[in-house]
Amino acid sequence: MRLYAILACLILSACNSSGDSATATPISPQPDQAVAVQFALKAGGQTAECNTTLPALGSRATSAKLRDARLYVHDIKLINALGQEVPLALTQNASQYLNVAMLDFENKTGNCVGSSALNQQVTGTAPSGQYVGLSFKVGAPDTAKDAAGKEVILNHSDTMAVPSPLDIMALGWSWQAGRRFVQLELNPDVPAVNGKTVNWFFHLGATGCKADAVNANLFSCSNPNILPLRFASFDVAKQRVVLDLASLLQGVDLSQDAGGAMGCMSGPTDPECAQIFNNLDLNLNESAAGKKDAGLPKGDGNFSKVFKVELK
Amino acid sequence: MILRCLLAALVLGGCVQSGTSTDDPARQSASWSWALPFYFPTPKVPSDNPMSEAKFQLGRALFYDVRLSGNGQQSCASCHEQGKAFTDGRAVATGSTGEHTPRNAQNLANVAWHSTYTWANPALVTLERQMEVPLFAEHPVEMGVNDQNKATVLARFQADRDYVQRFAEVFPGEPIGFSQIIKAIATFQRGLISASSKYDQYLQGKATLSAAELRGKDLFFGEQAECFHCHGSFNFNDQVVHAGSGLTEALFHNTGLYNIDGKGGFPEPNRGLFELSGVPRDMGMFRAPSLRNVALTAPYMHDGSIATLEEALDFYAAGGREIKTGPHRGDGRLNPFKSDLIVRIQLNEQDKANIVAYLKTLTDEKFINDQRFADPRRSK
Repeated sequence: MRLYAILACLILSACNSSGDSATATPISPQPDQAVAVQFALKAGGQTAECNTTLPALGSRATSAKLRDARLYVHDIKLINALGQEVPLALTQNASQYLNVAMLDFENKTGNCVGSSALNQQVTGTAPSGQYVGLSFKVGAPDTAKDAAGKEVILNHSDTMAVPSPLDIMALGWSWQAGRRFVQLELNPDVPAVNGKTVNWFFHLGATGCKADAVNANLFSCSNPNILPLRFASFDVAKQRVVLDLASLLQGVDLSQDAGGAMGCMSGPTDPECAQIFNNLDLNLNESAAGKKDAGLPKGDGNFSKVFKVELK
Repeated sequence: MILRCLLAALVLGGCVQSGTSTDDPARQSASWSWALPFYFPTPKVPSDNPMSEAKFQLGRALFYDVRLSGNGQQSCASCHEQGKAFTDGRAVATGSTGEHTPRNAQNLANVAWHSTYTWANPALVTLERQMEVPLFAEHPVEMGVNDQNKATVLARFQADRDYVQRFAEVFPGEPIGFSQIIKAIATFQRGLISASSKYDQYLQGKATLSAAELRGKDLFFGEQAECFHCHGSFNFNDQVVHAGSGLTEALFHNTGLYNIDGKGGFPEPNRGLFELSGVPRDMGMFRAPSLRNVALTAPYMHDGSIATLEEALDFYAAGGREIKTGPHRGDGRLNPFKSDLIVRIQLNEQDKANIVAYLKTLTDEKFINDQRFADPRRSK
C-alpha cells in the first residue's frame, strides 16, 4: 500500500512539477525568519555525554557509558496559534538534506565510536509569525521533494550515492537496504565477557522491508517504525527537546540480555524491544491479528514519555 | 508459474531446440555477449550498470583484492573460492576481524538470475545492494569498511596506477568510489556462469548420462522425490528473474530443519524471514539455493548444519530433522510452518545413491577451472 503511495507520488510529481505550493493564495510576502530548534540527550536530570557515566538506567539501575548517540529526524514543523503546522525549510548542510536532519550527541571521545562533531540543533527558516508548538518525526522518510519538486528516495537510498547526512555508513542498515533511524549504544557497567567490553545497542529502523518486484529502488516495509512527536506548547526561543535515556530504557534490564540482539535492533520478538517500543508508544507488532499496525505509532505523538520539552 | 513450468519443461525435455537462442540480439552488445545455452534466459541487468568486458575484468581484480577490506586481510574470494564453486567449505563464514556470520557462504554460480540475495531477505534484490552487507555490515563485521576507514580503503585503489587507469576506462569522469567498485564486482558476479556441467552437456546432446544418473534424474524430477518443486528451474532453484520477467514472487520455504520449542521455532539469529518480519508463518523460511555444483558446496543448509549430500537426502526423505539432544533438540518434521512440499518420502539406499549420482552431474569442472573467473594475479 505504502509502495503504491510512493509510486503515485512519483507519477504525480512527474506530471505536476509545481507541487503543493500551487494552491497557495497570494498574500503579501512576509520575510522568512531563521529558526534553530535545540535538542539535548539526557539520562534523567543529567546531560548524556561521551565522557560521563550515566547513572541508574533501566530496571536494574545499571550505570553505563555512552558509545553512540545519533538519530535522524524529519518533517520538522512549527505550530501556530491556530494549530496549523508550518514546515521548517531546513538549511542544507552536512547535517541536513532536504527535510531530514541528523542529530549527533556523541563526539568520539571516551567510549564513543562515531564522529568528532556534535550536532544538537536543527536549523532552517519559516515564514515570520508567532509559533506556539513543534512537531517532527523520528526516522528517515521514504522520499522527500527536492527544490525542483522532484521526489528523491531517502531511507532506502544507497549510502554511497546520496548527500550527507544520509551517507553515514554507521547509520546504514544494509540488511534492510535502509537506515538506522536511531542509533543509541551504551557500554553498561557490567563485567567484560571474554575480555571484551559489553556493548548494548538500540537500533530503530524500518523492518520487514521488501524491494519492489519491478523497480529495485523502491521498497515497502511492514514495520515503518517512524515515530511522530508533537508538542502543542513549545517556545523555540526558550525551550529545547530532550531525548531522555532514562525514560527510553525504563523497565529494561541493561545488566544482561534477555534474548535476540544484544539490546534491541528492532527485532519483532526481541524482549528488550517490547519494552522500549512500549516506552516509545510504538507498536512493535500488530496490536491484534489483522490490525496491520505493526511499526505504527499508538498515538499522535502528543504525549511522549521519552521526548520532552524543557528550558534551554 | 507458467514460466517455471516452461523452464522445467525445457530442462526436462532436453530436446527442445526452440526458445531463446544464442544469437538473440538482447544477448549481445558491442562490449558484452552472453554465451548461454538455449534453455538459459537472458539475465536482467540493472540499467545503470550495463555489462562490459572491461568492467567484468575490473570487478574480477577487485573480487580477489584483500585491499577492499578495512584491515586489508580479506577479499570477496576469501569466502567465495572458485574451486568450491565460490563457497568456502565452512559451516558459517568468518569475517575479516574473526567474527562469524550466522550463515553459510553461498555459491555464486549463476547469481545473475536470483530474484533475492542472501538466505532470506526480500529487501536485497540486486547484487549491488546485497554487496553493501558484506562490505559495510557491523553485526557481524565481514569486510569491515566503515566511516573511519572508508577513505583509507579507497585511497589504496586511488593510489594504484593500474586501477586508476582501469577505473577511468570503465567509469569515465567518475571517481574511484564504492559505487563504482560495487558495480564492477556485480558485473564480474553476473558473468559467473555455470552452464557446462555434465548435465548441461547431456541437455545439449554432447554427453550421455549413466543409468544411475538417469535414474537419479527421473527421481529428482518425479513425484516420488519431488526435488524439482523447489529446485526445478534451469538454475535448480525457484527464485528466478531474467530480462523477460514480469512480476516475480520471491518464494521462501521452511524445510523442517528445527523445531526447538515445539511451536516451530528455529534458533536465533537464523529464523529466516521471521527475523525481518516477526510474522509467525515466516519462521524458518529460507531461499532454496541453486543446486548447480552442489557436490562442491558442502556443508549444506543456511547454517551449514548438514555435512554431506547423503545426509541432505536423508533429511529430505525423512520430511525434516529430529534433533534428540542439545540446545536445538526438537522434531523439525513436526514444524507447523514446514512447507507442504516437504513430506516423508520413500527413498531406498539405491534411490538416494542414484539421486546423488545425478546431483554430481551438476558439477561444472569448466566453471571451477576457468581462468576467466580466477584470481588475475595468479593466472594468465
